[in-house]
Amino acid sequence: MSAERAPHRQVLLLDDEEAILIPTAKYFRGLGCTVDVAREPEEAEALVSHRRYDLAILDLRVTRFGGTEGLEVLREIRRRHHATSVIVLSAYVSDEVEDEARSLGADSVLRKPQPLPDLAHLAFILMGGTRE
Amino acid sequence: MSERFLLDRILEPGSLSVRFQPVIDVTGGETRPHYLEALIRGPKGTSAETPAILFEYARKKSKESIVDRACVRAILDEARALPAESVVGVNIHASTLAMDGRFVSFLADRLEESALPPARLVVEIVEHAPPWDVRGFQAALEGLRRLGARIALDDVGLGHSNYMMILECRPDYLKVDRHFVDGCHRDFHRRAVLSSVAQLARPFGARVVGEGVETAADLATLKELGITLCQGYLLARPVGVGRFTGTTRPVTRPEDDHPRRANASTGS
Repeated sequence: MSAERAPHRQVLLLDDEEAILIPTAKYFRGLGCTVDVAREPEEAEALVSHRRYDLAILDLRVTRFGGTEGLEVLREIRRRHHATSVIVLSAYVSDEVEDEARSLGADSVLRKPQPLPDLAHLAFILMGGTRE
Repeated sequence: MSERFLLDRILEPGSLSVRFQPVIDVTGGETRPHYLEALIRGPKGTSAETPAILFEYARKKSKESIVDRACVRAILDEARALPAESVVGVNIHASTLAMDGRFVSFLADRLEESALPPARLVVEIVEHAPPWDVRGFQAALEGLRRLGARIALDDVGLGHSNYMMILECRPDYLKVDRHFVDGCHRDFHRRAVLSSVAQLARPFGARVVGEGVETAADLATLKELGITLCQGYLLARPVGVGRFTGTTRPVTRPEDDHPRRANASTGS
């Protein structure tokens, strides 16, 4: 693991798969970030209504809902906090959805799963974090 | 951590915690609690532990009514331990009153269970944003009045808390948002708004509550304007029900939290 550090960076994770959400949250916390986790789009939207994040990593399809809920959260983020960097993750990224995500302001659209060090590397670049 | 929806955790019995923050009557030189606003916190360890996020989540899920019911249960359970003369109020979404046709009877049943006379209830109406069923809303207000509860209109001066709402609700209390209170002693325009609300309240027979009073200078200004019901950290912080046991006078020792939303009141 690289010696990346981003103290006091605020990160939001949206994913309904515990097997992804928990290790990702733990990994970013280990890098000095404050991490909020949301398992539902409404929870993520409520969080962004009241907190500002440096980075949001959004699962495009929150499985139990079956759509592209991650994009709704992205819309909410862009409506409120333009400075938040956003990474959209999905196991199924069509060109159409990727274009939509980018047009809504996603900084990056990636396929799941992503190795955590790679994800963190990108996250820190987007957040303007430092690497030692 | 559970994979259940956050809503399931919110609705789990015992998951909501309650603090009470008094609205203080500062008429003359005396300060005494007029009523206690109950403030809800969501389940520990979840994002909904923060009240603003709890209620925003409920709104996003369109579950205000079911969450309001859970809050009422939690508040009235705690209120059993308050002194007998306590008045208990609850914050209720306008949409709950409008859309949940059985809410008033639910409330009446819970009051009976907790042995709290409805006359000792203040319903603070929050988030009065349309669209909702105006007839349903009016019927619920009528039901609350028949029950004997008092009505407070929250966040006056902000968003949808407009003259129409005041007409619809004919509230007993107009709660002026902290935005207008904070710094009013040095801001002519804030004083102008407060003075206007105080004047508006008179013909309705309503009393104005200044929220978010945190300095003696702002408190003095409110009193000068005839606003003698005040709430804020200067007067009393939110405390657990244990602090009220055996006395109606709230202890004002600081708490480390600062919850907002949801509501209960003491002694009028």
